[in-house]
Amino acid sequence: MVCRRYTNKAAEPWPENATLYQPLKEDQILLSDCASSLAVQAYLRMCGLPVQVFCRANAEYMSPSGKIPFIHVGNQVVSELGPIVQFTKAKGHSLSDGLDDVQRAEMKAYMELVNNMLLTAELYIQWCDDSTATEISRPRYSSPYSWPLNKILAYQKQWEVRRKMNAIGWGGKTLEQVYEDVSQCCQALSQRLGTQSYFFNKQPTELDALVFGHLFTILTTRLTSTELAERVKSYSNLLSFCRRIEQTYFEDKSS
Amino acid sequence: MFRQFLLGQRPAELSMGTVHARSLDPLPMHGPELGVQADDIDAPEMDQEPKQEVLENKDVVVQQVHIDGLGRTKEDLLTYEISDVFQAKNLIDVMRKSHEARQKLLRLGIFRKVEVVIDTSRGEDALPNGLDVTFEVTELRRMTGSYNTMVGNNEGSMVLGLKLPNVLGRAEKLTFQFSYGTKETSYGLSFFKPQPGNFERNITLNVYKVTGQFPWSSLRETDRGISAELSFPVWKTSQTLKWEGVWRELGCLARTASFPIREESGHSLKSSLSHGMVIDTRNSSILPRKGGLLKIHQELAGYTGGDASFLKEDFEIQLNKTLFWDSVLSASLWGGLLLPIGDKPTSIADRFYLGGPTSIRGFSMYSMGPQSEGDYLGGEAYWAGGLHLYTPLPFRPGMGGFGDLFRTHFFLNAGNLCNLNYGEGPQAHLKKLAECIRWSYGLGIVLRLGNIARLELNYCIPMGVQSGDRICDGVQFGAGIRFL
Repeated sequence: MVCRRYTNKAAEPWPENATLYQPLKEDQILLSDCASSLAVQAYLRMCGLPVQVFCRANAEYMSPSGKIPFIHVGNQVVSELGPIVQFTKAKGHSLSDGLDDVQRAEMKAYMELVNNMLLTAELYIQWCDDSTATEISRPRYSSPYSWPLNKILAYQKQWEVRRKMNAIGWGGKTLEQVYEDVSQCCQALSQRLGTQSYFFNKQPTELDALVFGHLFTILTTRLTSTELAERVKSYSNLLSFCRRIEQTYFEDKSS
Repeated sequence: MFRQFLLGQRPAELSMGTVHARSLDPLPMHGPELGVQADDIDAPEMDQEPKQEVLENKDVVVQQVHIDGLGRTKEDLLTYEISDVFQAKNLIDVMRKSHEARQKLLRLGIFRKVEVVIDTSRGEDALPNGLDVTFEVTELRRMTGSYNTMVGNNEGSMVLGLKLPNVLGRAEKLTFQFSYGTKETSYGLSFFKPQPGNFERNITLNVYKVTGQFPWSSLRETDRGISAELSFPVWKTSQTLKWEGVWRELGCLARTASFPIREESGHSLKSSLSHGMVIDTRNSSILPRKGGLLKIHQELAGYTGGDASFLKEDFEIQLNKTLFWDSVLSASLWGGLLLPIGDKPTSIADRFYLGGPTSIRGFSMYSMGPQSEGDYLGGEAYWAGGLHLYTPLPFRPGMGGFGDLFRTHFFLNAGNLCNLNYGEGPQAHLKKLAECIRWSYGLGIVLRLGNIARLELNYCIPMGVQSGDRICDGVQFGAGIRFL
């Protein structure tokens, strides 16, 4: 007879020294990564879980899945919003407990919409649009490295993203079509939000964090053209939504 | 009347061929490969013939030296090697100088065999004491290939090697090695060119991609690099100057890698200039009986581009002395220092590792020093010393043959590996390296593999073990090229 004692790692409380890693803020981070990182930060603030943000040039390579952001909590390393939500849920913190099954399914569907539309559009604009890639994405992505490594890594990343775009069928789209897709996505979100404070009743959920992350970043990031930000700005309830979340959860930042 | 003297191969020694032990370092081969091992050639014994007494005192003049059998080799390369033969004044001298010229031709690595034929001069302007010396050479084939399969460390791979000796006619050599494995792929291309007339001065250009997995650190490393290396002798030393540019990619080997290792993941570029000096007076590099070795190497990175910026020094000293009864006492000392320049911390790819069957025996491979959750991070300074007594096997089985490849040895190893805080002075550093010394002692059997590698089977007793070190007390097996 062998007795095994399993320690329930999930039962450990959230430590004080939890950290979140992302690329360098000033010089390196790109639109899509900034949006993902802000979404995770918003989610953790909504849960009331303290986390310290560290910027590392090699954050993308440190991440176990290759995507940013990732959090280092105790002994564990978890990356991307989906797994992080699961992780905090196992520790007893959740924002979507109050939802019933229908609402939860709806929330998942909208999160899929944001990931498939907004995130993909951000990646497309960054890497498949030649002017943005040349003026912004490649220089920023490769800024921590010296020649010729910077050129090699930037072109390698661009080739990888373009290949992915082709695989999901976005390779043939034009910039105009992408902007249209963004508009449609924003319209769907705007309709769902309506006049409410948050997407589901009065409490924010992970969907709110995700939408905030992407929209706020789009509104505050300078690209080669302001078209993307304009498309988002045309939905006033989304604008006030972003402002509300910023004021509620990121007050110390804006002060 | 003429006599024909044939200085050729001595069948017993040279036809046994060469034993190539595979280098465990996947980098491409350096330098020339001799078809014949240097310390297998002894000075020729002169056959005592009754008539030699008369000829020895006779002055001779070497009138002509021919080389037969040249294909793609350019003649101007060879004139340097054979020019000395013309200086010979008497017959013994001719034989000696011809033999030396033959050695020189062989060390170029472009001939499979060289035979010397000495004959009296023929023809109209033949002097009565004139001699003709002819070198009959057989060139190596244009291209030789090799194919091996290797299995080790949970990975299998097939290795394809291609060698093009004497590719442009002046002893240049092009080598290509390609390894395709279940986990990683590596390749290397190397071009070697000696200076005509001065074979020890040569230049080597390398292009390579090498991958390595280091389970003791849960680290995976991929290096893609180019290097240019210039070697030349200065008095008794061999000097090397090298520039190397490497794109290093580090990654975690497992999801359970510790966080400090995770923090090292990513890309970096190292562009460094290095200088090495070697003085080697030993009679053999594996199990030497006498002589000493001094190797000093320094590397400066960061001043020719790249991200990594450091100054690295390391040295190796070995002294050997034969004692009574065919036993050999050998003492060796290794040390190294890595000094970061600027604020960036050092990368794990540049740090030193210590421990294992090839350095401090009794400890697991590279499992000493700073570590985090079982992953060893390497250190910026180290020293290691070893004292060995090699004796022939007890009962001397198979003397003169197979038994000579084995030796028993008694050893004492000691060393330390740590990180230094460069704000403190050298006194503090010496103190830090002197405290918490790890050491071990034991005995074992050593097997010599050709002239490159050796195998060891030891019984070790590690002492001075610090918390965090992983030991391997009891029986330990080791195979490699460079041993403490």
